[in-house]
Amino acid sequence: MIVCVAVVGHENNPLYLQSFTEADDALKLHHIVHSSLDVIDERVNNPKKSGSTLNETFLGLLYPTENYKVYGYLTNTKVKLIMVMTDLDVKDADVRSFFRRFHAAYVDAVSNPFHVPGKTTTSKSFGQRVGSMVKSFGPGATA
Amino acid sequence: MEDYPEELRTPPVSLVSLVGCPELHHAISAFLHSEQPPINTLALPDFSKISVLARKQKDPLASTPPPAGILKRDWLLKHRTKIPAVAAALFSSEQVAGDPAQWLQLCTDLENLKAVLRGRSTKLVVVLVQTSVNDEVSEDLMIALRKRAEIDSKHLIVFVQNDASELRISLNRLASIFAELCNTYYREEGRKIKARIEKKSFTSSELNVRYCFEAAVYAEFRRDWAEALRFYEDGYRALREMIGTSTRLPPIQRLVEIKAVAEQLHFKISTLLLHGGKVVEAITWFNKHIAGYERLVGAPEIAFLHWEWFSRQFLVFAELLETSSAAIPSTLSPRFGTSENPLTDWEFQPAYYYQLAANYLREKRYCLECCASMPEYSELSTKVGDVPESVMPSAYVGQYARLFEQGDTITVLLLSDSEYVSYAHMEAQRFQDTYEIIALFRKAYESFSGLKAPRIASYCGNRMAREYFIAKEFGNAKQLFDGVACLYRQEGWVTLLWESLGYLRECSQRLGSAKDFVEYSLEMAALPIFSDIGVENSENKRVYGPAGPATLSMRQTVQEEVFNLLKGEHVPVTTDGSCILHVTEDEPICLDIDLVSPLRVAFLASVAFHDQSVKPGSPTMITVSLLSQLPCPIEVDQLEIQFNQSTCNFIIVNAQKYPSTEKFTEDDQRSLVETAPSLTLSTNKWLRLTYEVKSGQSGKLECLSVSAKIGHSFMISCRAESPASMEDLPLWKFEEWVESFPTKDPGLAFYGQKVIQVEEPEPQVDLILGTSGPALVGEDFIVPVTVESKGHAVHSGELKINLVDARGGGMLMSPRDAESFSSDRKHVELLGISGIPEEDESQTDLDNVRKIQHSFGVVSIPILGVGESWSSKLEIKWHRPKSVMLYVSLGYCTNSTEAASQRFNVHRSLQIEGKIPIIISHRFMMPFRQEPLLLSKVRALPGYEHRVSLAVNAISILIVSARNCSEVPLRLLSMSIEMDDDDDSQNSCSVQHIGGFTDNAVLLVSGEEFKGVFSVTPHVDTLNLDVGTVCINWTRDSKLGSEQQDSIVVTKQRLPDVKSEKPPIVVNLECPAHAILGVPFSFYVRVRNLTSLLQEIKYSLGDSQSFVFCGPHNDAAFILPKAEHLISYKLVALGSGPQQLPRITVTSVRYSAALNTTAAAATVFVYPSEPKFNMEESKQETVSSQ
Repeated sequence: MIVCVAVVGHENNPLYLQSFTEADDALKLHHIVHSSLDVIDERVNNPKKSGSTLNETFLGLLYPTENYKVYGYLTNTKVKLIMVMTDLDVKDADVRSFFRRFHAAYVDAVSNPFHVPGKTTTSKSFGQRVGSMVKSFGPGATA
Repeated sequence: MEDYPEELRTPPVSLVSLVGCPELHHAISAFLHSEQPPINTLALPDFSKISVLARKQKDPLASTPPPAGILKRDWLLKHRTKIPAVAAALFSSEQVAGDPAQWLQLCTDLENLKAVLRGRSTKLVVVLVQTSVNDEVSEDLMIALRKRAEIDSKHLIVFVQNDASELRISLNRLASIFAELCNTYYREEGRKIKARIEKKSFTSSELNVRYCFEAAVYAEFRRDWAEALRFYEDGYRALREMIGTSTRLPPIQRLVEIKAVAEQLHFKISTLLLHGGKVVEAITWFNKHIAGYERLVGAPEIAFLHWEWFSRQFLVFAELLETSSAAIPSTLSPRFGTSENPLTDWEFQPAYYYQLAANYLREKRYCLECCASMPEYSELSTKVGDVPESVMPSAYVGQYARLFEQGDTITVLLLSDSEYVSYAHMEAQRFQDTYEIIALFRKAYESFSGLKAPRIASYCGNRMAREYFIAKEFGNAKQLFDGVACLYRQEGWVTLLWESLGYLRECSQRLGSAKDFVEYSLEMAALPIFSDIGVENSENKRVYGPAGPATLSMRQTVQEEVFNLLKGEHVPVTTDGSCILHVTEDEPICLDIDLVSPLRVAFLASVAFHDQSVKPGSPTMITVSLLSQLPCPIEVDQLEIQFNQSTCNFIIVNAQKYPSTEKFTEDDQRSLVETAPSLTLSTNKWLRLTYEVKSGQSGKLECLSVSAKIGHSFMISCRAESPASMEDLPLWKFEEWVESFPTKDPGLAFYGQKVIQVEEPEPQVDLILGTSGPALVGEDFIVPVTVESKGHAVHSGELKINLVDARGGGMLMSPRDAESFSSDRKHVELLGISGIPEEDESQTDLDNVRKIQHSFGVVSIPILGVGESWSSKLEIKWHRPKSVMLYVSLGYCTNSTEAASQRFNVHRSLQIEGKIPIIISHRFMMPFRQEPLLLSKVRALPGYEHRVSLAVNAISILIVSARNCSEVPLRLLSMSIEMDDDDDSQNSCSVQHIGGFTDNAVLLVSGEEFKGVFSVTPHVDTLNLDVGTVCINWTRDSKLGSEQQDSIVVTKQRLPDVKSEKPPIVVNLECPAHAILGVPFSFYVRVRNLTSLLQEIKYSLGDSQSFVFCGPHNDAAFILPKAEHLISYKLVALGSGPQQLPRITVTSVRYSAALNTTAAAATVFVYPSEPKFNMEESKQETVSSQ
């Protein structure tokens, strides 16, 4: 189950962060998302490791922590999409496809002419779209 | 990891026992221990001690009871320290070969040893100790001994002790036999156990696990790591299956035991994997282990035990990872976290596990606290308060039992679950988890910082700080939180910042620092948080810290609290009331907000002048705009605007609160007081205030700060910012909110500056540079300078004059000239400044400056009243033609007290062209129709080719011409040739002026030429004859009516040197001045021989159409020394007008030189008839025209 999705700007500032849990662990998820930026930095800036993944937007599992797994995705404008989930066994392909749709939704949201690039996203329709994507996420949702 | 017993942490080492001959034990055990692999020794000095090797006696009839536990606590230790694989009986050769009593004793000892070892498969070795090689024991005795001991011949070892090399050989032999036998022993033991596992001949799964463990340990003894790993893993798996099935113990303790055993097995597996360099496998195994046990929390009352255990798994694994040298294998795909390589970067870092260990330890503490707060459990622990003393770990790993005394007998009783729980609670209370958690987080923090992972490091820092906060070490907590908050602020993680600030606020409150409390509170209140969900409850406190969840209403609450504190109305009280903040009027709180302060969001001041520059003394508009993001409006009592020119400072007061400004004028005489209808700052709304400022001082006027006074004891001093260069608000810049301009005028919002340039005051004095065309080289060029006051009195005026090359470069000499030291060769020179101090003739002031250098001058100007003027003349002399810029600047004050008043400056400049006035040229001529033979013309001397030659003692004519090449008409006063002063040149040559100049001055207009004629008579024969210097006195033609007499200028030009030589022959042509058509006349050629030699000459006269002549066409003659020869012809002219005489050629044979007359000399004018004019006059004119 996806518990949290986040969009982080290229200055590592949060642009959108939404948790989908019943429990009141928003702060904890903030910490988890924030810490995962270190892994993204490491993967992106380490030339040895990034060699083959240069053109790959999906960064894979960033790190597991406690009960969560954190996945990352880096757009070509250096906007980071981060997803935190509790599933232990998840196919890469599912996560990839989720990120692709998430990215598309984000692109649509910032294409709003009233949106100032680099600022937080407050669009309600974006929130709804992400919410429904999160709800429908599950094994086999790739199709 | 340190908590584990030693035998678990290190790989097992084979054990052998030595009995007898205690003097050798040390040497042997030291040698065995240093072997590879090492062998430990259990040394028994004599045979009476062999009972330690004895086996426990079991009643063979009793049926084996079901196992009471999985692993025996001391089993491993027993096998490492008590049960040897090999027992070696050492006998000295005397004992063997001695008297029968000794032999008998030996046999008894051997029998006893064998009896002790019976039932075990411990190998027996007999060592025969000899003092030397020669000290041999007979073969028979050896056989007897072997038979007694029932051993192979190779297990009877001869040990020679006194010879060093033999000793070494003996030790080696001993070691190899021991190693071999140990291996055999442990293999056999292992095989026995393995057989049981394979046949599944165990009654319970506990035994299965135990056998697996034992088999693995035996494999480890043999250093068969692969097999050991396999059996440990088998055991681990069997154990995991037991969780649902075992019913032996009460449920709580059952789980505790299983976990304890799993921990041991897991530890062994991880160690083996890491030592084998299999990092990836170790991490994967660890993940499996964690996944398998994470959810086995057990009963809620002992959940803390689970988390403690769980945390320990992480800690131990982190320590293992840290101590193991295994690196990430290069074959591993660098694409961490993908299907190719499911592991992630951090899983290879010990810090990651430390951090998780700390997190789970926090969980443990939380569970423990929950238990303590639940009434039923607190009851429970008090009820069986006496239990702990007698509870102790039982013989099995992970089990506890209590000792029960009944009279003399002590029985070990198993605990009930409730007893165990209370025991565990009692134990748990004894530990201070907080410091453990801090230590773990600190380790992780430091490692992550080293790994350049600042965010996870600051997460650890945050957690550490929280622990310090819980431990009431507020100083430490504050320091850590400050560091963490910095990162969050920078990256705009508002929620995280809110949490940290909440703690910081609480810390500063506990530490009693009111200023910090106010700062943190204001920052919190001004954070861009808009959500308003989440309710306050006790659970929130644990999750969010003292600040609670980040919501808009919390922001409002925080702001209200801090303003209440500042107003002194209500003081926030800490939960325990330990420290109360005080804010009094005596100790007001002053906050400084600079450009990087996080409090800019709470209070931002933008100041813009409406103009870019202003005249001094005239008013200009200034807009002071204030912005606050605090959620509730703030009422400001008074604003103070400060400038770099303190006279401009002013105060704005709230008109509602202070209806009259009188009070302030009394208070502060210096500051101006303005009023504003309202000084209330609303959220995200610029408060714009526009006022007028007036600056009297020129230069920069800059607004420095805006200070707001709120209440009596609070003041915010905010650095003024220009709207043009204003940085975005930190944190808010990422938010989508309506941004408005600090000023109404959008242009001003983009370009407005907090600085205005106050212009220099307009000087009211004129500086006039009179100019009179180009300057001429050599003259003293005068530039009149006039200072005219037109409204300002001039005090301590100073005139600076500067001459600069107009083409740039600033140098008024060519570099070559600068090298040659002579000062008079500067091209242009400022000679002087002639002041006409008419107004103040007694001007002898000491401060009267007058400094003149060749291109720079400073001169003081007397005090001038309004309307007065002063003039002066600059004398500039040009040595070379050059264009020069003349800069003159006047600096003055309007009154005599220089310090107080403004200094004014007037600048003027003028370009002056320096020109050459007169070009002098000259040429030499011979007298008419006289031709001396100058040999140098025939044979030029090298180096003197171009030098003019003159005949010695003969008159030569010098014509000097002077041409005016300037645009100015000049008056030529005189022209002369001056000889150099020395007598030598006076005697060598005489020069006389013979014509071309009258006494009246000659006017030369531009381009006109004047000629002077001189006769030159050299007296000596020399190659360098100094002819003298042409001196021309001239002056500007000043008939234009200037009253002032122009000075006379002398232009000199030295004539080049000439050669003078004695001509050997001089030829004169003699011919009348004119001829008449048809009238015969005589034409003579007079050739003079000036040498003392006989000279032969040849001459010829060519035919001419205009004349007929009589005389020889060609002839030759000899001329005696110092004599002359006259050749005469009679000619009759045939045509009138200027006619060419027949061409005469005279050739000197000796010098091979021929005379060819010039055309002018060979021309004569022929009248058609006798002219009618006065013969006397015409004769004179003819002469002068020549």
